Amino acid sequence: MFGNRDRLANYDPNTFRKKIRAVTWLVLCAFFLLIARVWYLQVVRGDNLRQRSENNRIRIQEIKPLRGLIVDTRGDILVDNQPSFDISIIPEISKDIVDVLNRLTNLCDWAGDGLSLEKAFLKFGKTFAPVKVARNIGRDKLAVVETNSLDLPGVGIDVVPVREYIYGEMMAHLLGYVGEVTALELEGSAFSAYRGDDIVGKYGIEKYLDGFLKGRSGGEQVEVDAVGRRLNVLGRIEPVSGYNVVLNVDSDLQKVCWDAFLEEAGTAIVMDPRTGAVTAMISRPSFDPNLFNRGISGENWKNLTSNPLCPLQNKAISGQYPPGSTYKLIVAAAALEEGLITEKTQISCDGTYQMGDRTFRCWKKGGHGTVDLHRAIVESCDVYFYHLGDMLGVDKLAKYAERFGFGSKTGVSLPGEKDGLVPTKGWKLRRFRKPWQRGETTSLSIGQGFSLVTPLQLLRAYCALANGGTLYKPRLVKRIETADGQMIEEFPPESEGMIPISKEHIDILKYALWGAVNEPHGTGGELKRKEKDVCGKTGTSQVISLREDDEGQKGEIRYRFRDHALFVCFAPYENPVVAVIVIVEHGGHGGSVSATIARRIVDGYFRLAQERHMR
Amino acid sequence: MKIDRRLLINFDWVFLGVVLLVSAIGILNIYSAGHNLYVRGEPLYTKQIYWLLVGLVLMAITFSLDYHTIIRHAYLIYMLSIALLFLVSLYGDITHGSQRWLVLWGFSFQPSELMKLVLIIVLARYFSDTAEEGYPPENILILLAIVGVPFYMIARQPDLGTAMFLGVLFASVVVFVGIGWNILVSFVAGGMILTPLCWLLLKDYQKERILTFLDPERDPLGTGYHIIQSIIAIGSGSLWGKGFLKGTQTQLKFLPEQQTDFAFSVFAEEWGFLGSVVLISIFLALILLSLKIARNSKDLPGALLAFGVTMFIFWGIFINIGMVLGIFPVVGIPLPFFSYGGSSMVVLMMGAGLLMNVSMRRFILQP
Repeated sequence: MFGNRDRLANYDPNTFRKKIRAVTWLVLCAFFLLIARVWYLQVVRGDNLRQRSENNRIRIQEIKPLRGLIVDTRGDILVDNQPSFDISIIPEISKDIVDVLNRLTNLCDWAGDGLSLEKAFLKFGKTFAPVKVARNIGRDKLAVVETNSLDLPGVGIDVVPVREYIYGEMMAHLLGYVGEVTALELEGSAFSAYRGDDIVGKYGIEKYLDGFLKGRSGGEQVEVDAVGRRLNVLGRIEPVSGYNVVLNVDSDLQKVCWDAFLEEAGTAIVMDPRTGAVTAMISRPSFDPNLFNRGISGENWKNLTSNPLCPLQNKAISGQYPPGSTYKLIVAAAALEEGLITEKTQISCDGTYQMGDRTFRCWKKGGHGTVDLHRAIVESCDVYFYHLGDMLGVDKLAKYAERFGFGSKTGVSLPGEKDGLVPTKGWKLRRFRKPWQRGETTSLSIGQGFSLVTPLQLLRAYCALANGGTLYKPRLVKRIETADGQMIEEFPPESEGMIPISKEHIDILKYALWGAVNEPHGTGGELKRKEKDVCGKTGTSQVISLREDDEGQKGEIRYRFRDHALFVCFAPYENPVVAVIVIVEHGGHGGSVSATIARRIVDGYFRLAQERHMR
Repeated sequence: MKIDRRLLINFDWVFLGVVLLVSAIGILNIYSAGHNLYVRGEPLYTKQIYWLLVGLVLMAITFSLDYHTIIRHAYLIYMLSIALLFLVSLYGDITHGSQRWLVLWGFSFQPSELMKLVLIIVLARYFSDTAEEGYPPENILILLAIVGVPFYMIARQPDLGTAMFLGVLFASVVVFVGIGWNILVSFVAGGMILTPLCWLLLKDYQKERILTFLDPERDPLGTGYHIIQSIIAIGSGSLWGKGFLKGTQTQLKFLPEQQTDFAFSVFAEEWGFLGSVVLISIFLALILLSLKIARNSKDLPGALLAFGVTMFIFWGIFINIGMVLGIFPVVGIPLPFFSYGGSSMVVLMMGAGLLMNVSMRRFILQP
């Protein structure tokens, strides 16, 4: 390494010392500057600043922005902001906090909801900063607190906007709800721009588009007197309101869907097959998002989370169901496209199908006799598709299923969307460490077994058949604009490619779907309108597979083991403008429950269209 | 290993004493700032004591190794520190929107603090190596890379305050070595090229924060408010101060960041002008002692090392106190040995160890 001798030879202590001396002087100057400034502040301005510190009541008060509104496609307001009243306490002014708290509780006849002042006191210590103790109190309590304000030192009323969900539970899953940002969320990087008491979207559109909706806080530098009254505003920055979100959803149609259900649990989605616009989406049972505004009570929350029908889940995107017979169209498309069958291929159905030592049955006892593809779809013959499934094999079927958009999120602008599942040989090996059984393909070919789809995926796939092959991304949001209507972002139709099915084959399938509704023995007869314009398919997703000997007791099987009823349809036959999916959880075999509901929705859609046309 | 007796004779007890004195006052001050604050778990002043103890151990290690050995491994140390910064960018903890912390076994550490000291070591090595050639200006690219890489990585976190502190340290050493203005000019030019590059990588809210830093008036409710409260706190201390634990600005939480960046304001409020002058004088003594060590060094690496660390401490003091007094804009630079902060305390203790290292070896020539 370097020799020391050279280093010394090159090191001239004298110049170095000169430099150090110069630096020493500079350092002395710098420290002199500091001392001079301290002297100026503490000695020259000392008395003045001492005075100011004693009267120091300059506070920063944040001005919360108004959260953006959410409106439907025709400008109908879905979420609004309403004034509400919060109670806060300034500990340093209250002095005896527990006493003030007790008086407050007595006056308002509080059952202690939301009053955790002692905890708040511990957290903030002696402070002039207001601590929020109760949110969204009613006007009656407000009056009591106001009239007794002299006995309640340090207690103040804040007017804050809260969200009002005009359609309540009808749109709860779609719009979501808001709440205070939690400590846990604040720690993550996604919330770095948020502060402790900010309101954030917790679910639905409110969550997904929170960044657009929330707006930017302003603030005021205010001087307050010893009891916290505002004396003077020293500076102010205006808050910026959040952006408004315009949905593709039509509130009238949403209501039609909501009312189409009676007591059933399930979901319905309406989509425009020409653009992918989602015009209605409901999930039942639901909940009242307005409950969350008032800080949902423990009891209510427990009721919601312990309900076996999962009211908090948006079944349209988070529910995963075996697609049942609705899947037969995908199997048929794959078999046609692979050249394994033609439209004319006939298969004989005697009601059973043998695969190894297992016997698979057709839903129709005694079978359908000899059927071609058209009749097999119209009458939903299981045996026909058992054969197709076996010809295709699981992996080839999976390839087509994926191109129809199954097995991955649709990317709709809602949180909590599920992927669904397209099983393959490789998947089973990874998941269960067991090889794929040929019989499992048999179950799969009628949409049972491992296969899982979300209602939105299934509807999108049918929309692709309806519009001639384009797979659109489902779009809930039409555009985002500022509070005064300036466009921020627009969301035009977004194609995710074409399904790999030729025009000719799509037409065969479409015609078969028309037949299933409008021809004799079609399984979707409930949808036969006088215009004869609906195409659709029923489906049953098995919750548990029943053995043959259980069959006789089907009527009595317990609710939660009952099959889900599916119906997916579009209309009119030529150039479809509307597509609907209805899933009734535990609605039983055959899909007739869901077809009845779908009928109400389709009728409602055309009635609305006509009414609007007349106007 | 045989310990040279001269090492013990020349051990700089006075310097160590001053360092410990400042740290002790700092801990008392942190105690006062936190005594009315509700915190979960360990209060900050005890944590600071732990950090001080850790710092003392590392200081001992630092002065036990011959500084020539440290200089010899300068580039290795530098590479390791860069690797740490890189790890931060991958796995670092994000708080308040910037990624500065590395968490290991429950301890968080800021590699950017370490980088300040490492930069000094690597510059001491570089300038010692090139002294014979008279600091050839064509080496400027190497020099720029040495400071530019950590600068860029720290600015990206983003922590512009620390990044610029590296720049100030670099400039101090370069001017001191006297290699000419052309190098400085190139450095500024390099900085001007790097800055827009960094800018492109930043997110909107990060840009906003930097703009506010450059112009506090943009945010009169944030930074501007902090400065007003700091000036009121210091000024209201007046001649005699309000007394220990009695500063109203501090105890009523008007003052922001009391234990870290605005620690001096807390002290000045409670101890008044007299206390402030005493504390500033102790700091001055610390700097003068350090400069003396640099002056008495027997060789160039030792002198450069001592001078660099001195500048590290000096600029920390000057920028931090200047900031709370309202002379400089608000930057997140802690007051050396005084503000709360584990990384800063430990690194400064190692810096002090380097100074003592140079000091006690001033009569020993390498065999």
